[in-house]
Amino acid sequence: MVVGEVAVETDVLIIGGGPGGYAAAIRLGQLGKTVVLVEKDKLGGVCLNRGCIPSKALIHTADQFHKLTDLGKMGIKLPEESITMDLNAWQGWKGGVISQLTQGIAHLCKENGVTVVQGQATFLSDDRVSVETEGDFETYKFEHAIIATGSRPFIPSFIEVDGEYILDSTASLQLQEVPASLSIIGGGYIGIELGMAFAKLGTKVTIIEMADRILPQVAQHLVKEVIHNAQKLGMNIKTSARVEKASVVDGQVYLHIHSEKLGTEMIVSEKSLVTIGRIPNTEELGLNRAGVNVGGKGHITVDMECRTNVPHIFAIGDITPGPALAHRASKQGVVAAEVICGMPSANDSPYVPYVIFSEPQIAGVGITREEAERQGYSVKTGKFPFSANGRALATNEMKGFAEVIVDEDSHILLGMHMVGPDASNLIGEGVLALELAARVEDIALSIHPHPTLSEVWMEAAEATLGHAIHIINN
Amino acid sequence: MIEFKLPDVGEGMHEGEIIQWLIKEGDAVTQDQPIVEVQTDKVNAELTAPITGVVKKILFSAGDTVEVGTTIFTIQEENEMSLPEAVSDEGDNSLEEPGDGIGTDRMSKRQLEAGRVLATPFVRQMAREMKVDIQQVSGTGPAGRIIESDLKQFVETNSVLQEHHNHGNDTLLRKRDPIKDANQAKNAVAEPEERILLKGIRKKIAEHMVKSVSTIPHVTHVDELEMNALKEFKDQLKAYSEDKEIKLTFLPFFVKAIVIALKEFRTLNASIDEKTKEIILKHYYHIGIATNTNEGLMVPVIKHADQKTIFELADEIRQLATDAREGKLSLEQITGSTFTISNVGPIGGIHATPIINYPEAAILALHKMEPRMVVRDLEGVIRLMMNMSLSFDHRLIDGVIAVQFTNRIKELLENPIRLVVEMR
Repeated sequence: MVVGEVAVETDVLIIGGGPGGYAAAIRLGQLGKTVVLVEKDKLGGVCLNRGCIPSKALIHTADQFHKLTDLGKMGIKLPEESITMDLNAWQGWKGGVISQLTQGIAHLCKENGVTVVQGQATFLSDDRVSVETEGDFETYKFEHAIIATGSRPFIPSFIEVDGEYILDSTASLQLQEVPASLSIIGGGYIGIELGMAFAKLGTKVTIIEMADRILPQVAQHLVKEVIHNAQKLGMNIKTSARVEKASVVDGQVYLHIHSEKLGTEMIVSEKSLVTIGRIPNTEELGLNRAGVNVGGKGHITVDMECRTNVPHIFAIGDITPGPALAHRASKQGVVAAEVICGMPSANDSPYVPYVIFSEPQIAGVGITREEAERQGYSVKTGKFPFSANGRALATNEMKGFAEVIVDEDSHILLGMHMVGPDASNLIGEGVLALELAARVEDIALSIHPHPTLSEVWMEAAEATLGHAIHIINN
Repeated sequence: MIEFKLPDVGEGMHEGEIIQWLIKEGDAVTQDQPIVEVQTDKVNAELTAPITGVVKKILFSAGDTVEVGTTIFTIQEENEMSLPEAVSDEGDNSLEEPGDGIGTDRMSKRQLEAGRVLATPFVRQMAREMKVDIQQVSGTGPAGRIIESDLKQFVETNSVLQEHHNHGNDTLLRKRDPIKDANQAKNAVAEPEERILLKGIRKKIAEHMVKSVSTIPHVTHVDELEMNALKEFKDQLKAYSEDKEIKLTFLPFFVKAIVIALKEFRTLNASIDEKTKEIILKHYYHIGIATNTNEGLMVPVIKHADQKTIFELADEIRQLATDAREGKLSLEQITGSTFTISNVGPIGGIHATPIINYPEAAILALHKMEPRMVVRDLEGVIRLMMNMSLSFDHRLIDGVIAVQFTNRIKELLENPIRLVVEMR
């Protein structure tokens, strides 16, 4: 610490302007605190700039492109010449979407009195942070701090991401041309989402997954439909396989992969994408000077109020143990902000929904049948296929099903899961139902609008009770 | 599987308190076997098994108050028993395998539910606001859901939790130390006091008293009775009543005298219907006898007291008092009184201001009978005297009527021959 330095005082200092950090900042502003939000890159964090939003823009575009081939059967005649995808032009559109959102956040921060500072923050002590901005150096003294520095793609040591041939998810969203071939290391949700999108744009995609199936974290019966579609899109899926070496020769990526079954083989592709996982950004923050404990995997453990071991320093989002999901971070951000203001908030719900923008989409909340049985429940389940839903047929989206899992004794909902069109939007009903401790009858008895995809929840709930209208109940 | 829902065992009851379970989870029961003892407003009832089978799950514990219609236990029919349980029954009981029995089943479920509280996000937030550990609260909502009123009830019964944290700026400095917090909580209630949930009969009594006092403008009129003649009259009947194996007390005579007076002063055997603004004059004479029990005040009722003999009344009073003390009264036996007698005499006291048993019009308290110096023919003499206090509804009954009423009772009891000739 420099003698005689003048620190800028603030009630709360937040490090990281992603969906966790900015939500916390805005909430604190609403509650009348002075807030300094330090972001080293762009407001919105990974989610807005390099993750959720741009990837969904790509997935949507790819989907539109892919659906053109189906238009013929609906009577739409397209010109004879082949349709092409200009990824360069897409980058422009995507940039517009992102800048509209980031400007929106900047505006909200401003209107709520949040001071946004660009730079790299480092703890000097448990009440001071320095922020370095292009050679400038400013010190902030805070009463409370929220660490919200997020995560970044994990790259194994033997692979070097060059951004041109070997990409991480960030680089894959900045491509100017659709690659002819793409090998994806890691068949988790990011790999599957991006892999299916590129496959729809015409890329020859190979997925290499160490587990015995793709999306290993998701219940097998939900993934089946996705695997089926991946094959239809011409994707090559290699499971129980590990990449041992990656090299770039003459503008081609060579991956040496090994599997018990097939031994060693070589996969050659134009580009390769590494989506193995994400690691928390907790180094280089000077957390030891603040006395904040960091766990073995780089995570910061917090309590239900998002407090770290240092009671006036909070941590939220991907740096805390748990799924690296933006909506979890935002909830934690609001909770931390309210706790700082003396409100009795808590991150008290096990119902963090998951959404996967695969083809078709997967979404769910609560526990699966297997988990419920393992936990000692007698369960009842009900399933309803999209192929029996009028709207799904009329929009040519009849893949997948909805499933509800209930406790046999009380009929309280334990989990709601879905694979199918717009599952990501439809899961909202499930989250509310579980949070309100609804019974399966509550969904079955609620009037669902017709003709909509949401009817599948009602029918799945009715199926649990043995009386779905549009299927034969066993 | 049959869900046994708490039935309405008394007319219009809406909740009952579980007194005790007579079986435990996993017990095989036969149809009509008593399962649980439930107390409603003023009645204890034993609820019996609806079918022969195995009790799978008990959803409330003793002391819980349950709304009518809520499932309180589940029972599985004999023939729908699932195989694994049947097998484990036959198996070596001394070596119970974990994971098979019902007990372990429940345990693993409880572990799961540690992560989940059956309450909406709003209620969970409210619990934190009220500094209530929601895991400790039992829910009365559907399927045991914790609802807002459960939290309020919980707080009322747990003063320890009313710890005053300054949740403002000192959050910064406050290191959360559970032991210290607990000590602080203890200090906050340093004055020794005990909090008992107002429930069951006590709650009913409380509500009933408030209703009566806040509705009825009470006036109490006190007079005294000379009991020598009645005592002599009763003593003469002693041998005769012993032959009939009846223990004769003064109370049946009072009941008779009161009924005679009630027939003459009709507004004392009446009530006011506040809704329709009508006076209901009752042509039946059901006399409530306020009785002390371990659970609190009970008022068993002698129906049609005007149509019963002194001996019949004596026998019925004895029977009702016994039943009341044993908690065996049925709803039928404690409702419908038109006038109430509170016989506090055996305990002591000179006079009182009894509270009317709403919606009746009056209550008569009988006090201690004792020899007292009184003046007769301008001479001090010792007589066996007793005071009585009549509280009456002044909306309905003027003071004059009340005094005339007690005068009439006095006349009949001080001259038992007159009582006899007026009796039906």
